[in-house]
Amino acid sequence: MEDHYNIPTAPIVTARFADYILKDSRSHGMLLRYSFPPHPVGFIPRSHLKDYIKGNDPYTGKPLMQEIIDALTKPLTEEEKNPVVPKRPGHPRLLPPDTEENLHRLFLESGWTDGLPIVLPTEERVAEMLTGTDADPNQVVGRMSIAYYEEKLEYTVEKVAVNAVMAGCRPEHLPVLLAIAATQHPSLPSSTTSFASMLCVNGPIRREIGMNCGLAALSPFNYANSVIGRAWTLMSINFGEARPGDTFMASTGHNLNYNNMTFGENEEDSPFEPFHVEKGFKPEESTVSIFRGWNVLGLGLGNAEEMAKVLRNLPSMAPTGTFVMDPLVARSLIDEGFKTKEELRKFFAEKTGYPPFAINFMVVGGQTNPLWITTDFVYTETESIDKWIPKDGIRKDKKPLRMPEPLVCKDGICTLPG
Amino acid sequence: MSKKLLTVLDPKGQPSGIFGKVLDLKNPMAILDPEKQPTSTLEAMIGQKMADRLDTLEGKTVYLVETGFAGAADFMKEVEGWFQRNMPSVKTVMRSKRGNMFTDDPELWQEIKEHGDAAIVGVGG
Repeated sequence: MEDHYNIPTAPIVTARFADYILKDSRSHGMLLRYSFPPHPVGFIPRSHLKDYIKGNDPYTGKPLMQEIIDALTKPLTEEEKNPVVPKRPGHPRLLPPDTEENLHRLFLESGWTDGLPIVLPTEERVAEMLTGTDADPNQVVGRMSIAYYEEKLEYTVEKVAVNAVMAGCRPEHLPVLLAIAATQHPSLPSSTTSFASMLCVNGPIRREIGMNCGLAALSPFNYANSVIGRAWTLMSINFGEARPGDTFMASTGHNLNYNNMTFGENEEDSPFEPFHVEKGFKPEESTVSIFRGWNVLGLGLGNAEEMAKVLRNLPSMAPTGTFVMDPLVARSLIDEGFKTKEELRKFFAEKTGYPPFAINFMVVGGQTNPLWITTDFVYTETESIDKWIPKDGIRKDKKPLRMPEPLVCKDGICTLPG
Repeated sequence: MSKKLLTVLDPKGQPSGIFGKVLDLKNPMAILDPEKQPTSTLEAMIGQKMADRLDTLEGKTVYLVETGFAGAADFMKEVEGWFQRNMPSVKTVMRSKRGNMFTDDPELWQEIKEHGDAAIVGVGG
């Protein structure tokens, strides 16, 4: 408005975001004249707003309305006429050598981790991780920022490998992480509304790297599910520049931010086509699919009518929904007469008023109970993993690391080993 | 722990000079797709100018633009009330930005340029 339309403008932002917005203004090449009423202005009585108008800007201590008038009438200073746009310096590839203890402290205190212990990304470990792909370590994979308007940070294959090492991954996981990084989606958006993310892997790589798609797939009993989800968070922190109170403003935060609800779809036990096939990929291709939302409601029991009722009553900021259902639920929906996900979509769209494209169905679980999870997650993107897999196949360890497999019924009539 | 010195790699991405930009009203859902999101560059932002300020608001037309954030419309109504009580010569025009808080509204900016003297825009938060 100021530059293109030549309109003197007084922007107003609540005081909670004063430091952030002033920094943002500087980094975008203008010293805009903000005024800051108290926070929040939403969901409070109108009488409070009247008091805000009569009162002072808590950030500057000056009367708010006079500040707004001054923003439009006081002549521009020389600094405002000729702002300096700061250019941020890059940083060296290697950190100064230090002891293991000090480096762990450095990573933790610098905010480069999720608070859990990490594996230090030594040159040797990163070099080993890079054997998980044929891609050039210097190849740019993408750019990311968790705060939409901020400067995006660029990252290479090597940077992804660094974060993979930190998360505890092995080279066999790297192609999946490169595909996640290639989406350029942070799992931790800046929003005050506390987003959660979800990540589903489809195709042959699920089984090759030992992902759990069945019993307890969403619980902490599978190495690949755990470290892949964690690595996405670390990449979001380090590539997206997540800093609480500065760029990351999620008021309560979300516990799913630790692992991003990471699983492989149970394609083998699903009566529906796999999710990535819906999105135009071949069944033999491997992909990651990314989802984002707020709400996860765990205990869903009942038929399609009941599912639609729950989705319709799930409070959300968007008319979107993704069901994560056990194969038993998927088969019962077939028994109800729904032959395809398209038919399901049409039914749920009619019942909820949501657009059909915004309703998704994922199949995962171990068939011990016909449960479905209702989310308000919106599907954002599916990315191919195959292009990141080495020509001679996934780089597995001689004895790949695997947690115990879920016990399965051997005689077909019980849930205990035979 | 060992006192041996280790060399490790920096985990952070590098500044790119690429910034996010306000969303096009025709494609508000681009917020879900980084590849379709509009961007700006450091170079493009150098040399931007703020508009000259007014001598006074008395007798001028000031647009009050609410952004769509919760409470913004009510806040702007209070600002309007303040002008009516304290600076009645100021003509205020209330407008809601089209789309949502993340989308651009060039039509409105053009309207303000043609019919207004200044704008108060808020509330972010």
